[in-house]
Amino acid sequence: MRSKPAGSSMAVSLRRHFNYEERTALLFIAPVMSVLGLVAVFPIAYSFYLSFFSIKLTRPNRTPFVWFDNYLDLFRDELFWTAVLRTVSFTLMSVTAITVLALLVALLLNETFRGRRLVSTVLLIPWAIPYVADALMWKWIYDSGYGALNGLLYQLDFIDKYMVWLGDQKKTLPLIANAFVWKEVPLATILLLVSLKSIPQDLYQAARVDGAPLMQRFFHITLPSMRTGFMLVIIYETMMAIRHFDLFFILTEGGPGTASHVLSWEIYVETFRNLSFGSGAAMSYLLALVTFALAYFIIRTLGRSV
Amino acid sequence: MKNGIGRAIGRREFLKASAAAGVAAFAMPAVKAFAAGGGVNFQTWSAAVDLVKSHAAAFEQATGLTVEYANSPWAQYRDAMVTKFVGAAPMDVMWVSDAWLPEWAEAGWISPIDEYESLMAYNSDAEAFCTDSMTYNGRQYGLTYYTDFMGFLYDADKLQEAGFSAPPSSWDEVVEQSLVMKEKGISDFPMMLAMAKESWLIEFMSAMVFSQGGRFTDDNGDSVMQDEKLGAQAALRWIVDAVNKHKIVSPGCVETGELSGLKAFASGNHAFALLPKYRLAMLNDPAQSQIAGRAKQALMPMGADGSHATVGWMRFHGMSAQAAADKARADNAAKLIEWFGGKSNGAYTFQKLLFLDIGAGFGVKPLFEDPAIREKYNSYADVEVIQQQQALARKKDVVTPWFGDWSETNGAAWQSAILGNISPADALRKSGEEWDELKSES
Repeated sequence: MRSKPAGSSMAVSLRRHFNYEERTALLFIAPVMSVLGLVAVFPIAYSFYLSFFSIKLTRPNRTPFVWFDNYLDLFRDELFWTAVLRTVSFTLMSVTAITVLALLVALLLNETFRGRRLVSTVLLIPWAIPYVADALMWKWIYDSGYGALNGLLYQLDFIDKYMVWLGDQKKTLPLIANAFVWKEVPLATILLLVSLKSIPQDLYQAARVDGAPLMQRFFHITLPSMRTGFMLVIIYETMMAIRHFDLFFILTEGGPGTASHVLSWEIYVETFRNLSFGSGAAMSYLLALVTFALAYFIIRTLGRSV
Repeated sequence: MKNGIGRAIGRREFLKASAAAGVAAFAMPAVKAFAAGGGVNFQTWSAAVDLVKSHAAAFEQATGLTVEYANSPWAQYRDAMVTKFVGAAPMDVMWVSDAWLPEWAEAGWISPIDEYESLMAYNSDAEAFCTDSMTYNGRQYGLTYYTDFMGFLYDADKLQEAGFSAPPSSWDEVVEQSLVMKEKGISDFPMMLAMAKESWLIEFMSAMVFSQGGRFTDDNGDSVMQDEKLGAQAALRWIVDAVNKHKIVSPGCVETGELSGLKAFASGNHAFALLPKYRLAMLNDPAQSQIAGRAKQALMPMGADGSHATVGWMRFHGMSAQAAADKARADNAAKLIEWFGGKSNGAYTFQKLLFLDIGAGFGVKPLFEDPAIREKYNSYADVEVIQQQQALARKKDVVTPWFGDWSETNGAAWQSAILGNISPADALRKSGEEWDELKSES
C-alpha cells in the first residue's frame, strides 16, 4: 500500500482545521512569523539554553554544561544582591517621581489656559532626545569641576564652593534617577492626559450639584477614573527603570564604589566586558523573570477594577 | 542523544557560524586575496588610518605582497576582534593591546613571533618594559606599534606663584606644595587625580603603586597588593589622605575620568596632574589649553620606599594563530610586522612618522636621537625628562586572562576606600582575595 506524501497529509490537516479565509491569513502572516521566529524567538530560547553552560568567549575550548550553577552562583554573589538593592531603589525612586510629576503636569495641561499648546510642545522635548545625548548632557550638568549645576547654584549663592555630585555616593542614585525622570515624564504625562480626557464631564457636574469641593472631586472622581492610565504608566516605567542601562553607562559606570551598580550594569560587565555569556544570560533571565512578575503583580493589583 | 560535550560543540559551532556570518562582509576581500595568494590581512583600530594606508602601500611596492587593511573604532575593537577570532575570520597581523595579550594568547588566537630572529633582533633597541609588555609566559607575541607612560605634569606658573623653584620629587612634597597653594588661594584642589571607573584607572593606580615601591602581584603572579609593605597600601593611603585629610584632591576624583581630568587641568584648575605623557602636546597648544606653555613634566614623585618609577603601556603588532599555522602565510605576516613594528628601508619609519603625525610615543630608544623627533618633542616638552621617565617605566603587573573580571572589583574597592566606606587595608584585602579566587579558577 502506498503511503500518502507528508506534504499532502499536512495540506489535508490544514483544510480540516482552518477554513479558506484562515488559510489565506496564515499564508500571509507566515513570512513575518518566520522572521520573528528567527530573530526573536530563537535567540531568546537559545540564550536560555546558553545560561546552562559556563561560556567565556576568551576560553573557547572549555564550555562545560553546568546545570543551574550560573543561577545558583548569582544568589551566592554579594555584588549581585547589591545590584538588586540598587535596582529596586532606583526603580522605586524613579517610578514614584515620574507618576507624581506626570499627574501634576497632566492636570495642568487638562486645563484651558493661554500658551497651553506651547507648554505641551516644550514638554515633549526631553522625550525626543536620545538617551545617550540625554546622559551626556546630564554628565556635563553634574560635573563637579565645570558643571552647569554648580555654576548655577554658586551664582545664586546657594553654595559657597563647588559641590561633588555624582562622586558623592549618597547623591549618585537620586541624581541618575533625576535624569531618568526628566526624560520619562513627557510620555507618562501623555498617557495620563489621555486617561484624564476620557473622564465623563457629567460626573464632575453631578458632584458640583451635590456640593463636592475640588479636593473631593479630585480624590473621588479623577484619581479612581485614571486607574487604567496609572497602571499603564507604572508598568511601563517600572520595566524601563529596572532594565535601564544608558545613564549608568555614561554617567558613572556603576560607581563610585558600587553606588550605582544596578542589575543592567552587572549584566553588561559580565557579558560584554568579561565575555561570560553563560552567566550573563542567566542574569538576563532572572531580570526578565522579575520584570514579568512585577508587571503581573501590578496588573493584578491595579487592574482588578478596570 | 547528544551528551553535554556534544551540545557544547554544537553551540560552539553555532557561535562560530554566527560570528563568521557577521564578519563575512568584511572578510570577503581578504578571502579573495588569499585565494590569489600573497595577501596579508591587517586589522587595526581606527588610528592614523591614512598613515597606515600609505605605509602599507609602500610595503606592497617593496615586497609585491598585497595588504588587505581593515580597521574598526578603538571602543569596539576588542569585541570586534574576539568575534572575528571566534568566527575564524581571516586575519594575519593585527594591533594588540598589552591588556588583551594573556586572554588572546590563552585562547590560542595569537601566536608568538619569537621564532623569527629578524624580528627578535629589534629587542635590543626597545625599552625593557615594551618587550616585557609583549611577552606572556616567556614568549614574545609582537613588535611595537605605540607606547606611552603615565607622567607627572605640573603648571609651572602656579608653582612659581606659590614660591617653589622646583617641582615636587616625592609624594610628601606634593602634599607640602599643595597645602601652600591651597593656603595662598592658588587652587582649591592642587592635585588632579582621575579615579573614575574606566579603562584608564589601572594605569593611574599602577603609576601610584610603582612610585611608592609597591606592586599588585609578585613575579609568580600571586597577589601582594594587600601586603602592608610590598603592596599597594601606601599608594591608596596617600590618595585617601589627599582627599579626606589634606583635601588637596577633589572628592570628585571618583567621578573624574581621564578626559575630564585633562580638561580640568587644561583650564587651569589644578597645579599637578597624573596624565598620559602624550597629553603634553595638547596641554601646551594655545588653541586647546589655557595653560599652554606652562604645562611641564617632572619625574614621577617617589614614595618613602619607592622610586621615580611609573607605568608604561604598549600596543603592538601581533600575528594570528591561523597565520602562524601556515609557513608561507606566517612569513608574509612577519614581513609586515617588521615593516611596521621594526625597520623599513633601514629606519624606524612608521614609528617616526606616527610620532611626527599624531604624537604617538615610540618604544625604540634610537629614535630619541633623531633630530626631527627631538625638535618636535622640545617644541612642547623636555625630551630629556621624557627619555629619563620612559626608561623608568614598568609594565602593568596585573595583565592576566582574568584582569577584566578583577578590575571591576578592584576599581570599586579603591573608590570605596577613597569615599571613606572602608579602610585602604580592607579595600586591598578584598581586591587581593578576588585576585586569588580568579587565579585559582583560571
